[in-house]
Amino acid sequence: MSSDPSADSVLLIQRMKIGDREAFGRFYDRYASLVFTFAMRIVRLRSEAEDLLQEVFFQVWRQAAHYSQDRGSPEAWILTITRSRALNKLRLLRRMEVSNQETSAGESGRMENAESDAKIMVEGALAQLPETQRTALELAYFDGLTQTEVAARLGEPLGTVKTRMRDGLARLRGLMGVNTSGGFP
Amino acid sequence: MNHDEWLDKAEIYATGALDGEDLAHFEAHLAVGCAVCEDHIRETRELLTHLPRSLSPLTPPPAVKVRLLDWISGEAAPTLQRPRVGWLWWGIGAGALAAAGLLIALSWNLYETRQELQRLEGRVATLKGELAEREANLQFLTDPEIRIVQLAGLPSSPGATGRLLWNPISRTGLFLTIGLPQPPPDRAYELWAIAGAEPVPAGVFTVDRAGRALLRTPPLAAAKKFDKFAVTLEPAGGVQKPSGPMHLLGSL
Repeated sequence: MSSDPSADSVLLIQRMKIGDREAFGRFYDRYASLVFTFAMRIVRLRSEAEDLLQEVFFQVWRQAAHYSQDRGSPEAWILTITRSRALNKLRLLRRMEVSNQETSAGESGRMENAESDAKIMVEGALAQLPETQRTALELAYFDGLTQTEVAARLGEPLGTVKTRMRDGLARLRGLMGVNTSGGFP
Repeated sequence: MNHDEWLDKAEIYATGALDGEDLAHFEAHLAVGCAVCEDHIRETRELLTHLPRSLSPLTPPPAVKVRLLDWISGEAAPTLQRPRVGWLWWGIGAGALAAAGLLIALSWNLYETRQELQRLEGRVATLKGELAEREANLQFLTDPEIRIVQLAGLPSSPGATGRLLWNPISRTGLFLTIGLPQPPPDRAYELWAIAGAEPVPAGVFTVDRAGRALLRTPPLAAAKKFDKFAVTLEPAGGVQKPSGPMHLLGSL
């Protein structure tokens, strides 16, 4: 196996394509914590995050044959699957939560209580961003809000939010040493 | 528009936050083909993988891996790539052998192509079915006749709640619930439409681990005017008259 984790993951996907379950187990070991943490950050409910973890890896197994390195790294691929599924689930949970609140005011604390499940610390590159940039990016990326919704949530002009998001990404690039012409050094 | 402005939009697009006119314009720009923006989106998505990486990692429960490995053990390989016949070797021999080898290789490739075609046809049929179901659900949800019935949890399931989107003209409904306890293996929940004092079965369902379910009800009897809806726990196949404890109840 290669010493490059991404290339190594590509090899594992290629082995999964021919039904190699051991490769699937290794791929799971490599990404399960990341997927689970990401899912928890979005849906904030442990039971939902566990379901998502299963769904994501089952999809990875079934769609390994369709993975193309040209469209992104294995990590970007699995995180895109996770985010898409988690945001769909989050929207469903929010709709259900609205229903609960309409039905019974006494039950409206379900989500708030559940949030205590997901006290996930932010560290590394994201923690180094200025608070305003980080918040704008987090609302878009982890909460699935559009730029207009982020602006409404923060009570800021849309232009300000766009600038913060772009500045946040530029700063993140700088922190990660990514050049603007694309690709990691 | 200066191309740098497209790249600005590409970044927000990669986060999933672009909307409104910005989104429409940018998608139109992508549709005519812009390799620079496509690359920038891909690069930004790679960059964004650092956001989940910035969260302090949680350990998933070990049982999930065990379940997944069990599941895939019962599955066929995702796409079984059979080893290709090394047909060039056949060509090295005598002409007759070469022709025979080539024929075998081509037949094998044809067999593989047919298998793949069958698999894709199956997938297309599945997707068509899912699309038809979504369109039917969308049509149902946008019908102006839809009424919303809230079902509240009873003492058997005080934490449960349900919502029925009910069309009194077609007498069909879409029922969503959350918070019901897992039923025993030989039991299932049954939804009832109640006309006066007469309950009519409207569908049997079970719930996932979070106690959730989504149920599309069949068209019910035309002669009845349903004004209440309830959920009871019944034998797994469902019954014609409610016999078990009531968990949810709501009125139109």
